[in-house]
Amino acid sequence: MASNKAARDGEKIWKTNVDKVNAELVTLTYGTMVAQLCSDFNHKYGEVNQQLDKMGYNIGMRLIEDFFAKSGVQRCGNLRETAETISKIGFKMFLNITPTVSNWSADNKSFSLIFDENPLADCVELPNDGRAQDELWFSNIFCGILRGALEMVQMQVEAHYVADVLRGDETTEMRITLLRYMEDEMPPDDE
Amino acid sequence: MSLGPSLACIGLMGKYDNPLHIAIFEPHSAVESAHLEFSFLLNASLDIFELRASDRNRVDQDLGMLQAIDERLSTWGWQTGTGTKFAVIVDMWGKQGRPSTGSAIKGEDLKPVFKALQTAYIRLLQNPFYTPDDHTPMAAVRSRGSAGEIKSKKFIAEVKRIGDVWTPGLEKF
Repeated sequence: MASNKAARDGEKIWKTNVDKVNAELVTLTYGTMVAQLCSDFNHKYGEVNQQLDKMGYNIGMRLIEDFFAKSGVQRCGNLRETAETISKIGFKMFLNITPTVSNWSADNKSFSLIFDENPLADCVELPNDGRAQDELWFSNIFCGILRGALEMVQMQVEAHYVADVLRGDETTEMRITLLRYMEDEMPPDDE
Repeated sequence: MSLGPSLACIGLMGKYDNPLHIAIFEPHSAVESAHLEFSFLLNASLDIFELRASDRNRVDQDLGMLQAIDERLSTWGWQTGTGTKFAVIVDMWGKQGRPSTGSAIKGEDLKPVFKALQTAYIRLLQNPFYTPDDHTPMAAVRSRGSAGEIKSKKFIAEVKRIGDVWTPGLEKF
């Protein structure tokens, strides 16, 4: 029920409220950036993942404001609602994709986003150096974005990829775990 | 297995006439010396590429038939705006390796092949981890040993698919 409404809202916002850019521009810009990071960090993919996450965090902190302004979404009552909003409105609005929310944990504190399509990874083939396939999370910037955005609404989450089609997995799956709701007067995390 | 003409070889050459990728198809792929022989044929077509491409009246990237090697094999070419060359060698005897009564090949028959190859090549170029500069003779000299050929599995698989499924008159891959 809530999920349907979110989907409708997302569709409407995407159609009316959002400026659009060429998909190749996004894909190539992001791809070049990741490739450059890989060469800058001497193909230490762990570091690259970390950098992407950090960049995403900085994007997320800013993006959330834009998200509220354009979507007019109100406070979510629980994590399930948050998850639906992220998928059906957030991702829809910025990338025109709606990752599937699934694999809820028993305590309702963590869930997965399954990406059927990923505009960032169009045409990408990871370098065949025997390590990238095991170490690099190409779209790791998404994890940072969600972490940053949710932190601005007093939710501390942990987000990481557990599978990626680029590595040869069946699906692309991101795991998101709610650590805690932060008090309003908490000082911001020093990152 | 279908009768009639099929593709014997697909060759990709860079701006500097450097080989980027050579794929050889049945029944030739079973022959040990095929790679060498087809390299010679592709090499021989490069002059004709240059001749055709320098024609000022040329409007299309499609260069048509470059040469008929014998009653069985013929080379067809396509050159993109950046000087990348696609060469396709058609085998009139087909995958069976026996003369068949197929009709002659027309340029139109091969257009979809070149279009598909170009699409595959564009997708390869859009991969941020593929650096075109690593695939020139100069880079091959620098890196010593690796000849600058394309290693992308996706691209190689797509070229193989194109060569395996093509038959005259096929519009879409």
